[in-house]
Amino acid sequence: MSSKQRIEVRVNGTRYVREVEARLTLADFLRHELSLGGTHVGCEHGICGACTVLINDQSARSCLTLAVQADDCDITTVENLRNPETGALHPIQQSFVDAHGLQCGFCTPGFMMTTLELLRENPDPSDEQIKEALGGNLCRCTGYQSIMDSVRLAAQRMKSSTLG
Amino acid sequence: MAIEIHTLPEHMPNDALRYVGKPVNRVEDPALVSGTVQFIDNLSLPGMLHCAILRSPHPHARIVSVDVSAALAAEGVVAVISGEDVKRWCVPGFTAPEGWGNYCMAVDKVRFVGEPVAAVAATSRYLAEDALELLHIEYETLTPVCNPEQAMAPDAPVVFEERGTNVMLHRDYTWGEVDRVFAEADHIISRRFRWNRVGANPTETFGCICQWDLADNSLTCHGAYQTPRFMAIGRAASLQLPANRVRIVTHPQGGGFGGKGGPRGTDIAALLSRKSNGRPVKYIEDRMEYLLAGGGQSWDRYYDAALAVKADGTVTGFRVHLVDDQGAGAEGYGTISAAKPLAAFTGNYRIEAASYDLTLVATNRAPTYPYRGYGPPPHNLVLESLMDCTARELGMDPAELRRQNFIRPEQFPYTVPSGNEYDSGNYEAVLDRVLEIADYPALRARQAAARAEGRLVGIGVVGTVEPGVFDWNAYATVGVPGVGVPEGVKVGLDVFGNVSVAVGFSLQGQGQFTVAAQVVADYLGVDMAQVKISTASSDVALPHFGQGGSRLGVAVTGAILGACEKLNAMFCKVVAHVMQAPEESIVLRNGRLYRVDAPEHGMSLAEIAGLMLSRSDLLPPGVEPCPEATYVWTSPNRNAPDDQGRCRSYLTAANATHVALVEIDRDTGRTHILDYCIVDDCGTRLNPANVEGQLQGGVAQGVGAALYEEYVYNDECQPLVSTFVDYLMPTIHEVPMTRKDHIVTPSPVSPLGAKGCGEGAMHTTPATILCAINDALAPLGKEMLETPASPHRLWKLLHEDQATSA
Ligand code: FES
Ligand code: FES
Repeated sequence: MSSKQRIEVRVNGTRYVREVEARLTLADFLRHELSLGGTHVGCEHGICGACTVLINDQSARSCLTLAVQADDCDITTVENLRNPETGALHPIQQSFVDAHGLQCGFCTPGFMMTTLELLRENPDPSDEQIKEALGGNLCRCTGYQSIMDSVRLAAQRMKSSTLG
Repeated sequence: MAIEIHTLPEHMPNDALRYVGKPVNRVEDPALVSGTVQFIDNLSLPGMLHCAILRSPHPHARIVSVDVSAALAAEGVVAVISGEDVKRWCVPGFTAPEGWGNYCMAVDKVRFVGEPVAAVAATSRYLAEDALELLHIEYETLTPVCNPEQAMAPDAPVVFEERGTNVMLHRDYTWGEVDRVFAEADHIISRRFRWNRVGANPTETFGCICQWDLADNSLTCHGAYQTPRFMAIGRAASLQLPANRVRIVTHPQGGGFGGKGGPRGTDIAALLSRKSNGRPVKYIEDRMEYLLAGGGQSWDRYYDAALAVKADGTVTGFRVHLVDDQGAGAEGYGTISAAKPLAAFTGNYRIEAASYDLTLVATNRAPTYPYRGYGPPPHNLVLESLMDCTARELGMDPAELRRQNFIRPEQFPYTVPSGNEYDSGNYEAVLDRVLEIADYPALRARQAAARAEGRLVGIGVVGTVEPGVFDWNAYATVGVPGVGVPEGVKVGLDVFGNVSVAVGFSLQGQGQFTVAAQVVADYLGVDMAQVKISTASSDVALPHFGQGGSRLGVAVTGAILGACEKLNAMFCKVVAHVMQAPEESIVLRNGRLYRVDAPEHGMSLAEIAGLMLSRSDLLPPGVEPCPEATYVWTSPNRNAPDDQGRCRSYLTAANATHVALVEIDRDTGRTHILDYCIVDDCGTRLNPANVEGQLQGGVAQGVGAALYEEYVYNDECQPLVSTFVDYLMPTIHEVPMTRKDHIVTPSPVSPLGAKGCGEGAMHTTPATILCAINDALAPLGKEMLETPASPHRLWKLLHEDQATSA
């Protein structure tokens, strides 16, 4: 049961080489082996989206992904959003703060990573497109309205910052 | 010294409030969006073990034997516990009603599917779960009781043998001349309702790390705890430790809504630590455990209720008969949820008499727990649905029928028949405003046009009162005695004029740290950035309760104001002494203490704090070198109940009216919410963005309860729900983006005039949606009186005639 495999991953730009059990989930690997606790786990069966990370720039459920499947991949987690030098929040983070897009904040990393993917692919999404993108993430606190507002605000800010 | 707690923001010693009443950004959020908050599963302690729990597959069975030997020998396993250990070391947990409790783990028999039977502590969670497969439990199955009807049948198997019956509690309340008003009524409108189990499902499940110090015989529990002190007392009792030897360190929580569980998981992890020679043991509940038997199932109810109505539409009486399936034990304090409706039994209306016959029954379903709203959501659904049935029978507009029966503004403070006193309100203004923003006549026109096309479109207009700021006295007649709920804070200043506030609770999502920071910053006239709020562990915190009962925002505000008043008095004394001026001539205003007669002579807060801490020679006699103050707030003017449960219980009475427009798809039975408007009045809005978040979040949970969520059990009492594929949580596609407005009637009795506002939307939304559905069904002569009004249930109702005629 504990036959281990060697994997090499780049997480938020840092290269890690680790021996892991084949059954170890990527969520557990990130959270408990690499101490990146910002990726949360709400269901471990692929429904809530709290564990969403980007694997090679595509959003993925880290609870349904095994660490060994991420071998040789680039992984981005919520910890990568802040500017590491200045500590300044990413426009998506700042928009969630400003538009009150969170309450307990447990679902928020998942929503923000999903938003990051959305806005990279579609900088000017319609409300319907936002809903489509966020439809796989559960939030038990906010009732989603302020999350919609946050994503709209983030889109607006990111657009104007690339224009400006 | 009597401390006066200000009941309006403008009473604070500050000419230009910068924070209170404004939608300021939350102090909680930068860390939350950064992913750096220490939710419990982000914490590891040296030498920590991981717990996995084996759970019963049977709803009712005798445990014949438990063999743990193979599991104990497995890789990484350090300790295993089962009923034997629990029987030796524990007593059953607290319950209400008393005496219907389980041990944290099954002893001799199991009473529900998912009940813990044994648990393993191993060096990793993976290894702990592997070891569960090596545990051998032999069961002898018993006949389960699956619902109250079976449970109350003669010769029914009993869930708790020592009780000899499955009826936990029966109470019959009568308020006013109910028989007379029903005898004199022109119409009696009665219906039966069924509310199926739903529950909290916070996105983070319960988790804890427990460490039993064998030398000191003390226990420290880090975890996702909603009510830390209460939890500490409960653990001390069940684990048979002195209460001052249990320390609860509560961490930020990924939501709670009352249904976070905790006692069982904590006790199990604690016992494993005890058996592992004091190593810390972490238990993180997974979602399947939560759905099966965590603290997340609530309100399994059968109602039979009636209104007495005069020919002109005046409602004079309300009778409710409730049978509540509590499941296998009262560990979730089910009596509270059954008794809470007493605080606002007759809603917004001048109903003169009422009665409430309630029976709590034990079955072999999982024990029920609190959930946001704690009882009124089903109760209001019953009352408001009956109001709509009345309007239909009398041919009246449902909004106008309500208006006619409203308590009027000049009648406050208003004592309802069930005893509570509503502090203030203006229900008609709320109704008018919501009908205006919804454009009610246009909605009705839209409905008429849709009906003409054969579409099933309906409107719900529902108003409720939200009892806010709970008090134990509301539950005294059902076994939870007490008057008052303390909430304590400590406010202190450092030599630089920064302000530290220690509270007894942690983050859960409602933003109380922000509210605390807003209030203290405005009172003391400092920048919010200078304020730091922290959580004290239960052993050193002042008496507190924490989140619960739409109370904490108001309670923490009261506590902060009290502490600030004490600081104010103390600082005036110090400044007067230093300036050799009379004490009465010194005031605190806009962050500075000065002489009223010579405002240029004053001191800053930093100067005062510095002086107090480092110049004892300048302090007046009797003043300690401590620029800190504590205050423990509880609702003023509460009293003990009479034998019918009547008392001034919840301090505030917020209210709201919701308007929903829905359409039922005939082919799928699915209800689409086409429009949703809310106007509410929760008095002073300390942080309007927080309030809005509470409202919208409550709407989402209400939509879930009304349309999708249900803990389904089959005929053998087996739960059919164990994942989010079966338990349907509303997503962004199901929750309406509501249109909102509010009016403000400040509470004359609460700190800064704020009213509890955490539960009102959950109190109102299920009723609003169900009323709209029944309005849509009205042309067909059909009624849906069961929740959730799921697509499946509605489809069956719409197509039942075809089924019978076929
Ligand atoms: S934890 Fe991965 S989807 Fe819920
Ligand atoms: S903010 Fe709590 S689950 Fe989304």
